Formats: sequence, structure tokens, C-alpha cells
Amino acid sequence: MAAPLPEPTTALASTLATAAPPPLPSLITSRRLRSQRLGRALRLWIPAGFLILMLALCFLWPLVYQLPSPTNGNIIQASEPPFSPGHWLGTDQVGVDIFSQIVYGGQEAFEVSVAATLIGIAIGATIGVVAGYFGGWVDAVLSRILDILLAFPALVLALAISEGLGPSKLHLIWALSFFSIPFVGRIARGSTIVLRSAPFMTAARLAGTRGWRIIVRHVLPSIIPAIVTVSLLGVGIVIIVEGALDFLGYGIPPPNPSWGSMIAQGQTVLTAQPEYVLIPSLFLLVTVVALNMLGDALRERWGVQ
Amino acid sequence: MALVQQIQLQGGPGARDRARRAAGSPALRMVGRRLLAAIPVLFGVTLLTYAVFSALPNDTAQAVLGLRASPAQVAALNHTLGLDQPFWVRYGRWLGGVLHGNLGTSLEGQSVNSELATHLPVTLELLAYALVVSLLLAIIVAALAARRPNGIIDRLSLVVSMLGLSAAPYAFAFLLIIVFAVKLGWFPVVSGSLGSSPASWFKALTLPAASIGFPLFAVYTRILRADMVEQMQREDYIVTAKAKGVAPWRVLIKHALRNSMFTLITVVGLNLGTLVGAVAIIETVFSVPGIGNDLLTGISNHDVPLVEGIVLVFALITVLGNLLADLLYAVLDPRIRYGSSTS
Repeated sequence: MAAPLPEPTTALASTLATAAPPPLPSLITSRRLRSQRLGRALRLWIPAGFLILMLALCFLWPLVYQLPSPTNGNIIQASEPPFSPGHWLGTDQVGVDIFSQIVYGGQEAFEVSVAATLIGIAIGATIGVVAGYFGGWVDAVLSRILDILLAFPALVLALAISEGLGPSKLHLIWALSFFSIPFVGRIARGSTIVLRSAPFMTAARLAGTRGWRIIVRHVLPSIIPAIVTVSLLGVGIVIIVEGALDFLGYGIPPPNPSWGSMIAQGQTVLTAQPEYVLIPSLFLLVTVVALNMLGDALRERWGVQ
Repeated sequence: MALVQQIQLQGGPGARDRARRAAGSPALRMVGRRLLAAIPVLFGVTLLTYAVFSALPNDTAQAVLGLRASPAQVAALNHTLGLDQPFWVRYGRWLGGVLHGNLGTSLEGQSVNSELATHLPVTLELLAYALVVSLLLAIIVAALAARRPNGIIDRLSLVVSMLGLSAAPYAFAFLLIIVFAVKLGWFPVVSGSLGSSPASWFKALTLPAASIGFPLFAVYTRILRADMVEQMQREDYIVTAKAKGVAPWRVLIKHALRNSMFTLITVVGLNLGTLVGAVAIIETVFSVPGIGNDLLTGISNHDVPLVEGIVLVFALITVLGNLLADLLYAVLDPRIRYGSSTS
């Protein structure tokens, strides 16, 4: 289905001809320029800072400070409100510290979603690059597979896998990677097709470089920005879906804490203590907002699409 | 071709002529071609569902009969359900039934057709409610935002849509429940029965529709706003319209918005498929008696016929949604004529 490889002559001709006149020098004051630069830096570093903070909270904090157990609580200290001594976010109905549930649940959320996205990048990018680079029937077959994966309700698949194989972290990761594979695959294919007619690709082919070498040395480095930005959005989506699976009882196996299962448990006392639902939801929201904003900022900086 | 036959069957003078003209219409041919192209995708999706459920360890009969059932009883039930046969035989039998309009019998003994007939309308109403409201709001907000890029409304819309993009639908649903159902008491917490009057329907479905619609509103607003801002800055016809003195609002609505609708329609069509997950979860949270709720019970019961039926319906909705989007392009842009040699 894809367009045939361009003739080297036309590609060369299009590089030699100057297509568009150079843009006019913009009339902009140095002050305006400085504030624009500052804005751009802030858009990148504020979400990045939040993410670093969340990661440090989840992974470093428990190494430095002794946290109460995230699974066992003291029933005498049950349902304590936030800011009580020893439990600064309070305790849940059976006396388990909420802050340490947030910390350990956050670890699970980050580990699972990053692992699932990495699998998605490994498999999805391979499929996408191969489809985009070789074109022809290879592209037709691989694109149909991606289409079916996209049209297939991935939540059904994830639920079926967790339900059938029993809840475990590894199954959860594989189930969630079905979200990221077609997602990354489509972007990788699109970016590769755009690259195919780039002058340096023609040059590499004319120099007699082998196909696989072109993919590894020329295609992959050029599509990495697109894949990184889309993966950041992907991690955000996967964290939300992971929470949904926890929420439905098919995620991180109990008694390990997770944000989704905290929301599900808080549901039972929604009227009396809405904070059980609100606290994990807030952490979830901040994390995903930071991921999305970082993805936007990097896309702007790298000029992806 | 079926259409041709159908029209021919109506008989009467000139019917054959009309049929030929209908079959020759490029738009109809496009619809036919797209429906044909959808068949492999529908086939792949249902086959994949069957394959996943067959590959998983299967103890359906044991689960139905309980732990005390003897191996002989389990084997007997497996035989009646056809579960002792290889997977392609079962899939083939199911597919044969589907082609005759029969989606099979669920494990609870009900026909999947009747299950869908009672629960599908609720889900469709919920989806339509969420889609229409989020689209209307997105168009209004995006137009207001694009009128003055970087103005107050624009920044506010960016913040709200970023929140909508990042909020987990289930968490947002609980926030709505806490505020509007528990504190203010405007809407019921549980939408189990829809009632018969429009008022009770509205009351029961508003919070679920808002939970599904808010992320959609965020996506639509972001895309439409970005597209409209770009149009207003780049396109020649905008400059022309402004130069000949068209009022700013008119330029925005009649020129920029109309052309930005293409992007929006594409996104709406593509997004339909991803709604399954949100619908299933939100229907569970609010106990809405729709097929999303059925889907989750079906999965936890290993009820393959029920799950297959629902997956097929959702895949069909996606395919038809994309087709509708393509047809709407032609309505919006008279230059697009499907099937003609110039397009």
C-alpha cells in the first residue's frame, strides 16, 4: 500500500532546489525573547521537577525514613484523619498508614507502567520501523496487525489476561503493553515513512549501506524524539489504565497497595471519609499531568510534528 | 449489490433504472467499499478475543457447577457447552451463528441477542449524551479560546483540558459523586434504574455521561483550539476574509471553525474505539445497566459468547463511526466527492 521508494534523482533534485524563501527576521525585542525563553524553560522544568519529586518520594523516601507498614495496620488507630501524629495523611479503615500506601503504591505504578511502555517501545517500534522502511506487502501485513490491535478493546484483553492467568505483576505488565504496542507502532511507522525520502537516506543507500545498518544507524536515531514524546504520554495513559485494573480488582495482587485499589477501597466510605478517594486520586492526577506536560514541552523543544 | 437486488425486488416501472443509478453513486460505492474493508478487522478482533479466552486456563464448567461437582458432571457440562471441542470448531460455530444473526447463548442461559437488545440502548444513550454535550462544549470553548490566543479564556481552556486529559475517569467520577450526589444531592449516586420520564433519565445519566465526557471534551478542545489558532494565523482565506471586512466572529465561525471541523471529526471517529474501557468502568461505578457493565461480568465469569457479542458491537460502533466521519467530510467540503477520478 505504501508509496514506492522515491527515485534518487527526484530526491536529489528536491534538495538542490530551494523550495521556500528564508523566513523574514522577526521583529522581536530582546526582553520579549528572554521572557519567551524563560517560559519555555519553565514549561519543561516544572513538570520535570514534579516528576523527579514524585520518583524521589516513591523510591528514595522509604530508603531514608522508616515508614509504617503499607499492608498491616493497627486497628486501634483506624480511620485517623490527615495530619494526625505518626500518620500525616491519616490511616484507613483498618489502621494502615495512607502515606506509606501512597509511596509503595506509587512504586508499583511507576515500575509497571514504565516496564509496559518499554515493552511497547521494543515491540511497537520494531514493527513500525520495519513496516515503514520496507513498505509493500510487509507494511500491509504489519499495518493490519496494528489496526486490529488498535480496534481491539485493550481493556478486555488486559482483564482477560489478568483474570485467566491470575493476578501477578508480570501478567499485568504484559497485559498493559498491549496498550503501548500499537500506540508506539503507529508513530514509528509514520516517522519512518517521512524519513524515507530524506536526502541522507538516499545518500546512505547510494553509498551502498545495507538495509539493517541504515535502520539502526540512520532511522532509529532520527525517530527517537518522536518515540520518546509519545512514550511519555503513553506512560501517563498506562498509569491510568493500571489504576483502572487495580480498581476493578485485576491489577497489583493484594495485599500490596496500589493507587487504584486505594480508590476502590475508599469507595465504600465515600460519604463519611471522601479523603480516602481524593488523596490517591490527587497523586494520580499530579503524576499524569506532569507526564503530559513534559511530553508537550519536549515535543515543542524537539519540533516533533 | 444486495442493495441493487433489494431495490429491484420492489419492482415497478423504472425501478431497475433507479437501482442502477443508486449503485453507480460514488458515495454509495464508497460506503460499500469501506464496509467490505471493515470485515477483516471485525474478523480479526473477534478471532483474537476467542483465541485469548481459549488460551487461558479454562475452568468454566467447574465454576458454574461449584467445587463439589464430580469430574463426570464437569465433563458433561463441558460437552453441552461445546467446550471440549477445539477452539477453531467453536469459533467456526459461533461465526456461523453470527452470520445468521444469532450471537449464541450466554453461560447464564440467556440469548446474547436479547441481552444486547435490553442493555445496548442504555449504553448508546449514555454514549450519545456524553458525545453530544462534550462536542458542543468543546466547540464553544475552542472558538472562544481561539478568538484571542493567550488570552484569559485561552489559558483557562488549556488548564482545564490538561486536567481532563490527565484525570482518571473513575477518580473523576468519584469527585462528581462526592460533590453533586453526596454534598449537593442533585443526582443519585447509583443509576441502576433509568425510570421512564425524561427527567429521571436525565438525572440518572448525567453524572455517568459527565465522567465519560470530560476527558473527551479535553481532547476535542485541545485539538480544535490548536487547529483554529493555526488557521487564523496561517491561512490565506482568513486574510482575505478579514481584508474584505468580514466581522471577526464571522471569520472565526464560518471560515476557521468550518475548516477545523475536519480534524475534529477525524479525532471523534478514531476515539470511539477507545471509549469501551471508559464506558465499562463508568457503568460499573454508577451501576448503569448497560453493556459495559455486562462486559466486566462476562469477563469475570469467562462468559465467552457474551463477551464476544459485546466486543463485536463495540468494534461495529467504531467502524460505523469512522465511516460516518468520512461521509461528513463530503457534507462539510463540497470539493470532496467520493469515487470520482479527481478526488
